[in-house]
Amino acid sequence: MSNSKTTGSLLRLEGVSRQYTQGEETVHALRDVTFEADGGEFIAIAGPSGSGKTTLLNLCAGLDRPTAGKVWLGNRDLSELNRHQLARLRLEEVGFIFQAFNLIPVLSAEENAEFILLLRGMAGETRRAKIRALLKEVGLEGLESRRPGQLSGGQQQRVAVARAIAAEPKLVLADEPTANLDTETAFSLLNLMDRLNREHGTTFLFSTHDPRVMQRAHRIIHLLDGRIESDERVAVEQA
Amino acid sequence: MNALRIIIIIAWRNLWRNPRRTVLTAGTVSLGLGLLLVFLGIGDGSHRQMIQGAVRLGGAHVAVQAVGYQERGGIERTLSAEQIARVSSWAQSNRKQLGITQVLSRVFASGLVSSADGATGVRVIGLEPAKEKGVSSFHEKLIRGDFLISTRDNTAVIGEGVARKLKLEPGEKFVLMVQAAHSPEIQSLLLRVAGVMRTGLEDFDQATILIPLPTAQQLLKLGDEVHQTAIVLDQLEHSQEAAEDGKRRLGPEVEVLSWLDLMPELRDFIKIDDGGSYVFNSLFFMIIAFLVANTLLMSVLERRREFALLDALGFTPVRRFLLVILEAVWIALLSVAAGTGLGYAGHLYFYHRGLPLSLFYSSEVSAGGALIDPVIYSHLTWTRIFGAAQLVFALTFLLALLPAWRGAKGQDAHLLGQA
Ligand SMILES: Nc1ncnc2c1ncn2[C@@H]1O[C@H](COP(=O)(O)OP(=O)(O)OP(=O)(O)O)[C@@H](O)[C@H]1O
Ligand SMILES: [Mg+2]
Repeated sequence: MSNSKTTGSLLRLEGVSRQYTQGEETVHALRDVTFEADGGEFIAIAGPSGSGKTTLLNLCAGLDRPTAGKVWLGNRDLSELNRHQLARLRLEEVGFIFQAFNLIPVLSAEENAEFILLLRGMAGETRRAKIRALLKEVGLEGLESRRPGQLSGGQQQRVAVARAIAAEPKLVLADEPTANLDTETAFSLLNLMDRLNREHGTTFLFSTHDPRVMQRAHRIIHLLDGRIESDERVAVEQA
Repeated sequence: MNALRIIIIIAWRNLWRNPRRTVLTAGTVSLGLGLLLVFLGIGDGSHRQMIQGAVRLGGAHVAVQAVGYQERGGIERTLSAEQIARVSSWAQSNRKQLGITQVLSRVFASGLVSSADGATGVRVIGLEPAKEKGVSSFHEKLIRGDFLISTRDNTAVIGEGVARKLKLEPGEKFVLMVQAAHSPEIQSLLLRVAGVMRTGLEDFDQATILIPLPTAQQLLKLGDEVHQTAIVLDQLEHSQEAAEDGKRRLGPEVEVLSWLDLMPELRDFIKIDDGGSYVFNSLFFMIIAFLVANTLLMSVLERRREFALLDALGFTPVRRFLLVILEAVWIALLSVAAGTGLGYAGHLYFYHRGLPLSLFYSSEVSAGGALIDPVIYSHLTWTRIFGAAQLVFALTFLLALLPAWRGAKGQDAHLLGQA
C-alpha cells in the first residue's frame, strides 16, 4: 500500500469502516469506503437517511475515528493524532457547516464569524475589517451585533459560512447545510459556496439528500447502507 | 491572548443564559460566605474581648517574670530591683515603637484570711492602685465600698465570695497570714476592707484579695522586689511581637511572656473554639459545594451539543477545560464580591450595635478562665476576609474540575447540527 507521504490529494479515505455497537446490535454506518478529494473540488455526498453521510464527514475531520481503514488530511494520518492535535488541525485547516445550531449562542454574528480567527490569535484591526467585509459579502450587513437567536435559520447558516470562509481553510465540510432552509435561501447559500469554491479554490464536501442541491456539485458520491454506490463527475455548468 | 479573552467572555455570558440558576447559586454561596464572615467577626470579637477582659483583670499583654515563675510559681522567684530597672528602661525606650500604654509592678502570694466568722485561703495580689485604675477594671467591679488608695494604709479590696464567707463589709477588719518570700517566717497583718468586688469569675471572686503593692512588699519582706512586671499595649495584636522584642533585649535571665503563654487556658480555649467553628463552617460549605458542583455539572451536561460544536471548530480540550473553569471562577468572583459585601455589612452592624449575649444566656459566662462580655462586638480582619475568599475560590475550583473534565473529553460528534 502507498504511504501517506506519497499522496498529493487533499483528503484521502482508504478502506474506512465505522461500526457502532448498541447492546447486542452492531450498526455498520460505513463499510470499506475509499475515495480521494483534490484541492478545489466541489463534492456532494448523497444518500438516504441513515446511509452514513454524517458519519463520513465526521471521520474526515477526525471528530470520530474509523473502526477500520485510514483517513489522511493532506499528508497527515489522522489515526496518529491525539484529540488536541486533531482540534488544532481543524482550527487551522478545516471549516465546518452543519444543518443547524452552527453558532455559539452567546456570541454575536460578528463574534461567531471571527471566532476561528480569534482562536488563532489574529490581530484585531485586520480581523475586524476582514469579517465586516465577509458579512457584507454573505448579505448580513447591519446584523453584525445580533445573537444567533435573533437571526433566521438562513442568516445563521450564512454566519456559519462566513466563519468557515474567514478562516480560509483548505477544506470545508458541510453536513446538509441547506436542509433547514427554504428553496430560495438554500440556493443563495449554494451560490455563495459555489462562488467561494471558484474564487478562493476552497474544497467543499457537503452532504445532502436533496436532488436539486446535488445538481450543483461537480462530483457526486452516492452512499447506500454505508457503501459507496457510485462516484461520478459532473460537467461543470456556468452559474 | 485573543483566545483567552474570548474564552473569558464566553464564560461570562454563559452564566447569564440561565440567570435564575446563576443568581441562585452565587446568591447561596455569597450568603454562606456572608454568614461565615459574620460568624468569624463575632467569634474573633468575642475572643478579643475575652483576652482584653482578662488583661484588665490582672493579666497582661506582655509579662516579665523571674525565670521559671510561670511554670512553677514560688513566692521566692522574684525580679530583683536591678532587673526591674532594666525592664522599665527597655519599656521606656520602646514605648512608642511597641505601643506600650502602661507598665505595672505586681506581687502575688497565697495566704489565709480570717475573721471572727471563719477563715479561707486566698490569692493575694499586690498592685499599684493608681496605675491599675488606668488599665484594669478592678475598680469598675466594686459592688460595695471603694477601691484602694495609693498609700501604705492597710486596706484591701476583697472578692465577693471572700466577703460572704468571712461576713465582711467595707470598714471591717480581718487578718491576712502569708509566708515571707525568702524565709519560712509566717507574717500576719490586720487589714481593713475598702471595698468588695464582683468580677463574675467564680474562682476569682471566691478567693482573691487586692492590697497596695508597698503593703504587700513589706508583708512578704520583699524590699523592692516584685513577681511580675505587667505590660499593657495599645494593640492586642502586637503582643507577640513585643514579647519577642523583650526576649531579645532582656536576655535569658528573666522570662518574657505574651498573653498566650501567660494565660494558656484562655489561649487553648480560643484554639478549641476556633477549631469547633471550623468544623461547623466546613460542613456549611460542603452543603454549598454540593450545590455549586451540581450547577456546574448540569450546565456542562445540558450543553453537550455546544461542546461538540466547539470541538469541531478546533477549540482544543485544554480550552474547553479552561472555559468551564472560568465559568466557575466567575461564579466565585460574584459570590466573593457579594458575600464579602454582605459579611462586611453584618460585621458593621455587630461592630456598632453589638450582639447581646443575654439573647442566649441569662447569667454571666466564663470560659478558659476569662469572662465573656455580655455584649459582643464584631471584629473582622482582612486576613479573615482573604482567607474566606480563598476558601471559596479553592473550593469552586476543585468542584469545577469534574465538569471541566467532562467538557474537555471527547465529544459525541453525532450531536452536531441536531435539534
Ligand atoms: N452514535 C451512534 N450509535 C449508534 N448508531 C449510530 C450512531 N451514529 C450513527 N449511527 C447509525 O449509523 C448509521 C449512519 O448514520 P449517519 O448519521 O451517518 O447517517 P446519515 O446518512 O447522516 O443520515 P441522515 O440523512 O438521517 O442524517 C445509521 O444507521 C445510524 O443509526
Ligand atoms: Mg446525517
